[in-house]
Amino acid sequence: MATKTTKREPQVELRKLTDDYCEFVLKGTDVSMANALRRIILVEVPTIAIELVEFEANTTVLNDEFLAHRLGLIPLVSTRVHDMKSIYEAQVGAWVARRRRHYIHPVGYHDREDKGILLVKMRRNQELKLRAVARKGTGKDHAKWMPVATCVYQFMPEITINHALMDTLTDDQKEEWCAADPRKTFRLNKLTHRVEVTNPELYQYDGEVLAKAEEMGKPGLVAIKQKQDTFIFRVEGTGVLPPQDIVLTACEVLASKIRNLDAALAEEARRFDGREEPAPMQA
Amino acid sequence: MYGLEDEGLSPSAAAEIDDQDAWAVISAYFEEKGLVRQQLDSFNDFINTSLQEIVDENKLISITPQSQHVPGMQVEDDVEKIFEVEFGQIYLSKPVFIEADGETAVLFPKEARLRNLTYAAPLYVDIERRDKVVHSDGSEEVEVTPYPKVFLGDVPIMLRSDYCNLSGRSERDLCDLGECPYDQGGYFVINGSEKVLIAQERMANNHVYVFRKSQPSKYAYVAECRSVVEGSTRTVSTMQVKMLSRAGQKGAGQCIRASIPYVRADIPILIIFRALGFVADKDILEHIVYDFGDTTMMEALRPSIEEAFPIQSQEVALDYIGKRGSTIGATRNARIQYARELLQKELLPHVGMEEFCETKKAYFFGYVIHRLLLVALGRREEDDRDHYGNKRLDLGGPLLANLFRQLFRKLSKDVRGYVQKCVDKGKEINLTSAINKDTITRGLRYSLATGNWGVVGAGEVRPGVSQVLNRLTYASTLSHLRRINSPIGREGKIAKPRQLHNSQWGMICPAETPEGQACGLVKNLALMTYISVGCASNPVLDFLQEWATEDLEEISPSVIPKATKIFVNGVWVGIHRDPQTLVETLRAMRRQVDISTEVGVVHDIRLQELRLYTDYGRCCRPLFIVEDQAVKVKKRDIINLQNREETGFTWQSMIEAGYIEYVDVEEEETTMIAMFINDLRLARIAEDAATASSIALYTHCEIHPAMILGVCASIVPFPDHNQSPRNTYQSAMGKQAMGMYVTNYQVRMDTQGYVLFYPQKPLVTTRNMEYLHFRELPAGINTIVAIACYSGYNQEDSTMMNQSSIDRGIFRSIFFRSYKTEEKKQGSLVQESIERPNREITAGTRHGTYDKLDDDGIAPPGTRVSGDDIVIGKTSPIPDDGSGLPQRYSKKDASTALRHSESGMIDSVLVTTGADGQRFVKMRVRSVRIPQVGDKFASRHGQKGTIGITYTQEDMPFSAEGISPDLIINPHAIPSRMTIGHLVEALMSKVAACMGKEGDATPFTSVTVDNISAALHRCGYQSRGWEVMYNGHTGRQLQAQIFLNPTYYQRLKHMVDDKIHSRGRGPVQILTRQPVEGRARDGGLRFGEMERDCIISHGAAAFLKERLYDQSDAYRVHVCSVCGLIAVANLKKNQFYCTACKNTTGIVQVFIPYACKLLFQELMAMCIAPRMIVD
Repeated sequence: MATKTTKREPQVELRKLTDDYCEFVLKGTDVSMANALRRIILVEVPTIAIELVEFEANTTVLNDEFLAHRLGLIPLVSTRVHDMKSIYEAQVGAWVARRRRHYIHPVGYHDREDKGILLVKMRRNQELKLRAVARKGTGKDHAKWMPVATCVYQFMPEITINHALMDTLTDDQKEEWCAADPRKTFRLNKLTHRVEVTNPELYQYDGEVLAKAEEMGKPGLVAIKQKQDTFIFRVEGTGVLPPQDIVLTACEVLASKIRNLDAALAEEARRFDGREEPAPMQA
Repeated sequence: MYGLEDEGLSPSAAAEIDDQDAWAVISAYFEEKGLVRQQLDSFNDFINTSLQEIVDENKLISITPQSQHVPGMQVEDDVEKIFEVEFGQIYLSKPVFIEADGETAVLFPKEARLRNLTYAAPLYVDIERRDKVVHSDGSEEVEVTPYPKVFLGDVPIMLRSDYCNLSGRSERDLCDLGECPYDQGGYFVINGSEKVLIAQERMANNHVYVFRKSQPSKYAYVAECRSVVEGSTRTVSTMQVKMLSRAGQKGAGQCIRASIPYVRADIPILIIFRALGFVADKDILEHIVYDFGDTTMMEALRPSIEEAFPIQSQEVALDYIGKRGSTIGATRNARIQYARELLQKELLPHVGMEEFCETKKAYFFGYVIHRLLLVALGRREEDDRDHYGNKRLDLGGPLLANLFRQLFRKLSKDVRGYVQKCVDKGKEINLTSAINKDTITRGLRYSLATGNWGVVGAGEVRPGVSQVLNRLTYASTLSHLRRINSPIGREGKIAKPRQLHNSQWGMICPAETPEGQACGLVKNLALMTYISVGCASNPVLDFLQEWATEDLEEISPSVIPKATKIFVNGVWVGIHRDPQTLVETLRAMRRQVDISTEVGVVHDIRLQELRLYTDYGRCCRPLFIVEDQAVKVKKRDIINLQNREETGFTWQSMIEAGYIEYVDVEEEETTMIAMFINDLRLARIAEDAATASSIALYTHCEIHPAMILGVCASIVPFPDHNQSPRNTYQSAMGKQAMGMYVTNYQVRMDTQGYVLFYPQKPLVTTRNMEYLHFRELPAGINTIVAIACYSGYNQEDSTMMNQSSIDRGIFRSIFFRSYKTEEKKQGSLVQESIERPNREITAGTRHGTYDKLDDDGIAPPGTRVSGDDIVIGKTSPIPDDGSGLPQRYSKKDASTALRHSESGMIDSVLVTTGADGQRFVKMRVRSVRIPQVGDKFASRHGQKGTIGITYTQEDMPFSAEGISPDLIINPHAIPSRMTIGHLVEALMSKVAACMGKEGDATPFTSVTVDNISAALHRCGYQSRGWEVMYNGHTGRQLQAQIFLNPTYYQRLKHMVDDKIHSRGRGPVQILTRQPVEGRARDGGLRFGEMERDCIISHGAAAFLKERLYDQSDAYRVHVCSVCGLIAVANLKKNQFYCTACKNTTGIVQVFIPYACKLLFQELMAMCIAPRMIVD
């Protein structure tokens, strides 16, 4: 039974990569894949965060629960997370040995010179002594394990200006039309007197320009289409993990999910061939 | 073009001010006055003047011995002894506390709150005792003994009043004393709890009101005057003048009669005139109908004249009244004397109670009739009972003054009794012990602690006057301190007193009132309302004398129609022939503060009256004074005001300069107030254009119309864009929002306290909020709100919340609850002790764990505790039962357990001593409340909702910018409720967030939605706040654009964890054996009539019987088959006996519901025999 399939060859084009930001274009795939990737980046890429805090003394203005919550939200550099098999894995011996590479510290805090993140201001004679234990976890459990501030994609717009119709407008009208778009996607070139697209990616599909054209009595001034198979992906990391690491881990998670599914399917198929009743679902 | 206009263009010093400048004035006002000025002013007046006045009122006690004959005692016949006790100067110290061991120390409110003490100051009085001996020849010997500074009692002191230890302290000092610098005071601390005195509304005294009686009634019209002498405690003496309805009596016509105190029957008015000494008809008519040309009015009096025809002399008239008084069997002369005194003392006492004020009384009495006739003849409308000018507010000062007066009277009565007894018995008089120190201390404390206002056993006691200060949110505290109560029956369905009245504009908040029974009866003051504290009327009277006011004694009645009648506090003092100048001078004097600023000057041109008021409790508000269609304040004054640190030009200076004055409700009626400063400019233009007919001549200008709102309504952004009930709902809800209720919450031990982890100041604020310190002590968070359906888990006012935001700390809060125990003493032997109870020797131990207690019997801070755990252990010894047998238990448990549905961590423990030196423990337990499904949230527009589901960030819709909402509310919440303000707030919040500025949402300003939209467009967003969003589950773009904006949301105190309740089996009531009520007692959930009906109509009656009877209420009784009454059964011995018929056989066993058995027994107790006939 052969159905017509569009052959997909997903492609990635990396546009920008910094310590905490990554922008790439994902082509040749559809929304479900892009969204799966987004969701996994958000909540299934493991990181390390403080989970357990034992207070020995606390006479600060913030109470134990308050401080514990704040401690949990501190982003910890979690490059070590990939080596961790279980969630708690910090035997002191091994730790010290590999301290240089795997020292777990807050993002942006390297030595005592750094200011770090303000947790609580203390007055003279106030006391705070605590022991905090960090562990590996994912954003599913708690937002503190999210590796990113946000991860989002956008469809690539395809904008075609009907120049013939556009030329029926005066310069002022053109200017007015361009101004209708809050993102300033369009621009009137003063020399050529033509409307041009500054950057199609600025366009947010808010339909303001279309409505404006309608209002001016010139529907069809511009045609805007979404390229359904092209996504501009933006990953804004928190510094916990390098963004490329996040994306790759996410792909790995996705791949392993599919592998699991594949294995389960194979198992099921085998069972079915053997005329076995399907096993009852386990709760 | 115009001179003034030109000045306006270049902002010179003399330029006109604008709306923005008005805010400088308002800031100066609040900086000087704060928000609870009425409370403080009123209390200060009580301490500074009323207290001494009350003591002076009945300061002299004079006692003549009524010596009994004592055998063997020498009686001096020719000398008369008089003992006098006179109270003199009073002295009030600052609040102090005397410890049980006698140590005295200055008391600060923090300590009073923590140790459950009363924040009160001792009151002392100088007493002088004079023993007079009057010899028969008239010579006098006086022996004077002074008793300086005798302790009279403790007077609770209002916080931040002049006598409070906190007054005049700097912010820094306040912090060091453990006080919140934002706390405004205005309340008392009684036994450790903060009490507010709620202002009580009442009708103004000494006003003449004319009402039309609804027919059928005996009377057609009634004029009444509740007369009270200024500054006296005498009860109100009401005088009514009634016009009979035509249909009523045959032949009588429309007679007018008056009812006067202590006279049973109504007296025809002419008889009263005659009794006052005005005999001739002409004399009388002159006092009523000032203008003899007014024939209709004369005609209206004809029936009354005819009615009184038989009585034609003063003597006869007095006798007529005397006969109807309470004298029975007195002689004619006695009756006449009685009537004379009655008229002097009881008729219109406010006009005068001395001798020879008949003329004034006759004039006033005639005036009352005149007013009645005006209404009867249809020339005037009847008076409006609900007009706010006719209302007076009794604040803390007058309330305390009345209470203190009653108590002081009681005290001096007791002193008199004691001295009399000593004198009679010839004992030595010990004055210091004659004064019962508890009378005043206890009396004041009792009323403040319970709210029952008045001395028990003396007159009426009003409940609910003193209330526990609400400390949920800072705004709720402020609002509580500005509350007004009208003591009208809540049950009454009469709508009128509950409705918003025109005259309440600017005085009372139009939005803030509770819903339900107290709607419109409980009110709140508007922000700038000032309540007059009262000032002496003498300066005004002196002034009137000087300015050619003609006394009533000296005029002929015929001049009245040509002149204006002058009333001072309801008393007709004279007439004036040039009222216009008089009013102008009076106002000018008031503006120069030559006479008090709170004097009310009401010139009623139609009635030809000038009414002046100096009494307390009038609502006033400040207004800009307008002269020549321009506000008198100029730009330079504003600049001076803004630099008041250097220039010293304050609000008070503005008053003294005559730029601003306080106008009371009644005077407001005689003014022409411009709403905006711009209206004055328009009026000037109109004036110049000489369209003279349409010009409004303004006398005043509003400082800002936003000032008509009260504390809670001022928090609503754009209230002028909302449907009005929504503002009312928000005003009620703002009081339940969590935030930061005081800055010193860590050092307080409030029974309950809610504190938000991360409160934020709103992105969009009103300017009024500045004065409410809402930025410093906020109660909410700026949440990103999407208005969308999304998955449908936000129907019917539920909302969806972002779980990831919750994880990051949005709306997280701490809940504090304090527990309190003290080692009470019962008698001299039984003394409780705080310790760890030993189960072996302690009776009645609970099933909760005692393991969390330390050795001292108190759970230490940092202990995790949960429901029913014992947190403070305490035992009381069981006294020996005297049987001599060894007892199993020697102690009884009296421990404090944690509430059974709560859990948390011990936050802090306070161990101290209480007022009587007993050991005293307070403990605070804290628990963190994380938002969860079922918790309640609300925006600032009466839009409340509970969480229906929480979604993690990846499931939330997102915009291309990566924004996902914190909260999704349902679009159906908007159209029917018409809270446009909500949407405008959201839009402006987005602009504010983009620009990094606060948005201004003050009502009655020129901000428009189009302006905001344009600004948003400039920020690069869709102008109406819509965003293209993507479904978080599928990743597809949502078809509709979503309204996604920040909005300020409040977390309300109603949380599921405090409400969740279910029960299988549990405690039952002892009497009825039915389940107890309420979650706190682990009570049952009622299976009511409707639920029962459901089961019956379902055809499952057997199930019903099984559940409701067999399994829960069955009871076995033994019934005598002879008489059908319940018999005595001893099943162990198998003996049965019917006490009624002495029958031992034929007893049957039946099963009935326990409730039925109980009913039968109760019937039997009422001598009704319910017989169960068994066959």
